[in-house]
Amino acid sequence: MMVDSSMTDTAKVSPRAGPSYAGWIGKLANSPIYAATIGLIANSRMARLVLLLAIPLIWIVTLHIGPIYQMARISIMDNYPPAPGGTVYTLDNYRLFFQEPLYFMPFLRSIVFAVCVTATTLVVVYPVAYYVAKVVKPENRTRALLLLLTPFWAGELIRTFSVIMFLANRGAVNVFLREIGFIDRPIIMLYNYFSLSFGVIYLISLFMLLPLYSAIEKIPTSLVDAAADLGAGPWARFRRVILPLSRDGIISGCSLVYLTSIGVFAAPLLLGGPNSTIFPEIIASLFHGSSDKWPEGAAFSILMLAVSLSTVGLFMRVVGGRTVKLM
Amino acid sequence: MRSYFSDFPKTALQASYWLFVIYLLLPLALMMAISFKDANFVAFPIDKWTLKWYAQVLQDKQFLEACLYSIFIALMTTLFATIVGVWIALLITTEGMIARSVIFALACLPAVVPGLINAISMRIFIRVLDIPTGTGAIILGHTVHAVPFVVIMVLTRLRSMPNNLVDAARDLGADSFVAFMRVTLPYLAPALAGGMVFCVLTSIDDFVRTFFLGGYQTTLPMLIFAKVQGGMSPEINAMATLVLIVTAAVGLYAEHLTRRSRTR
Repeated sequence: MMVDSSMTDTAKVSPRAGPSYAGWIGKLANSPIYAATIGLIANSRMARLVLLLAIPLIWIVTLHIGPIYQMARISIMDNYPPAPGGTVYTLDNYRLFFQEPLYFMPFLRSIVFAVCVTATTLVVVYPVAYYVAKVVKPENRTRALLLLLTPFWAGELIRTFSVIMFLANRGAVNVFLREIGFIDRPIIMLYNYFSLSFGVIYLISLFMLLPLYSAIEKIPTSLVDAAADLGAGPWARFRRVILPLSRDGIISGCSLVYLTSIGVFAAPLLLGGPNSTIFPEIIASLFHGSSDKWPEGAAFSILMLAVSLSTVGLFMRVVGGRTVKLM
Repeated sequence: MRSYFSDFPKTALQASYWLFVIYLLLPLALMMAISFKDANFVAFPIDKWTLKWYAQVLQDKQFLEACLYSIFIALMTTLFATIVGVWIALLITTEGMIARSVIFALACLPAVVPGLINAISMRIFIRVLDIPTGTGAIILGHTVHAVPFVVIMVLTRLRSMPNNLVDAARDLGADSFVAFMRVTLPYLAPALAGGMVFCVLTSIDDFVRTFFLGGYQTTLPMLIFAKVQGGMSPEINAMATLVLIVTAAVGLYAEHLTRRSRTR
C-alpha cells in the first residue's frame, strides 16, 4: 500500500529499470546525481552501516560525553586558562569545597531543600493523580488531565513571575487577607524558603504528576475491589494494594522532581532571599565575572552531579529493589 | 450516614484535585488580570481597567526583536535535534545492534543531568574548543538538551511499527534511502510533529542554557528575567500574558498531535 499503483506501468514509461515514485522523491531517486551519491551509499551495505553508526556515535561521544569530560578535566587543573608554566593537576579544588563552609553549607542546604521539595510534591500530587486516574470517569479523564497540564505550557520565568505577584507584600494573598480583616500588616512571604519552595513545586509538580498518573491508571480496579470484598478498609486498600502497585510511578516521579529541583536556577535567583542561597547560585557566581575561578566551579559541578545522580541511584535501589527505567 | 463515610475518601480526593487546580491556575489568572490594570505599579486591588499595556508591548521593539530571535533559535534547534534524534533512534532499533541499552542511556544523558550542570559543562566545552558564545553556542546547547526527548518519542513510535513494512518496500525495489523517506518517515510523522513542537517550546522557554551560552542579543526569557529583576510594571504582565497565550495554544496543539499518534 506504500508503493504506488503506478509501479506496474513503470517499465513502459521509464526506459530505466527499477521502480519509480510519485512526487519529488521520484525525481530525486531517478536523477543521475542521486545514483552517484545517496544511491551508492544506500545500496552498499557497508557504507550504510558506517553512515548509520558514524553520525549518532560521533554526536553522542563529542556532545553528550565531551562536555562532562572537559568539566572533569578542568576541575583538576590548578588554573584555567592554563598558566604559561604548564598545568599542574591537583585535587585542591575538591579539597577547598570540604574546607570552606561558605561552599559546603549551601550544598547541604541544596540537597535538603531538594529532598523536602520532592517529598512535599509527592504528598501533594499523589491524591490528585489518584483522583484523575481512578475516580474521574474515563470519558472525562483527558479533560481533567488537560486542566492540570495547561499551566505548564507557560514558561518557567512567567510562572515564577506570577508566583512573585501572588505572594508579594501587596500581592493577591496579602490583599485578600487584609480585605477580610484577617491581618493588619502583610505577612512577608517572599524572598525566603517559603516562596522558594512554593515556586519550585509550582514549576515542577508536572514531573511528579505524569509518572504517578500513568502508574496508578495501570492498576486494575478488580484488585482494589477484591481487597474491599475481603474486608480491607480504605486505608488498608491504599497501603497494601495501591501504594505498592504505583511504586514505579513514585520512583520515576521522585527522581525527575529531585533532579530538576536540585538544578533550578532562575527560580532561586528571583524567589530566594539572602538567607536561602542554594548551591546553583554559588556555582554560577564562580563562572560569571572572574574566569579564574573556573576550576573550582567545575569541581563543584562535578560534586553536585555525582551526589545528585548517586542519590537517585540509591533511592531507586532502596525503593525499587530491581532496575527501573527513569523515563 | 454510612454512605457518607464511605464517600469521604472520594470527596477528599475531589477536593484535593480542585485545590490543586486552583493552586496551578490562580497565580497565572491573577497575573493576567493585572495586565489590564490602569496604574503604573503592580498591586491589588484593580480599580481601573485599560488595554494600554498591550499597545505598549506590541510597540516595544526590544520585545519584538527578542521574540524573533527566540523563535529563530527554537526553529534551528528543532531542525537539528529532529535529524540527530531520529538518526540515534534508528541506530538503537537496528537489528543486531550491540550495547543497545548503553547507547540509549548515553543518548538520554543530557536529559538526566541537572539543567545547571548541563549548561556549565557546555560553557566549558565551547571555551575549550574556542567557540564564541552567542547564537551558535545557544543553538548547540539547546539541541543537545532536546535530542533525548526526540529519541524517546521516536523510539516509542518505532516500537509500534511493523517490521515488514520496510522489508516490503525493499523487496519491491526501493533502496534503503527511498524506503526510509517513503515508509519510515511518514509512519513517524505524528510523533515527530509532537516532538518538534515540544522542542520549540522547551527552547523558547530555556533560561539557564541561554544565560551561560548567550551573547549580547537577548532572548525572550532573558528579557523577561531582566525586566522582573529590574522592577515591576504591568507591562511585564501584558508581555507575559501574550507569551503565555501563544505557548499554551501551541502546547495544547502538540498534546493533541501526540495523543492522536498514540491512538492511531
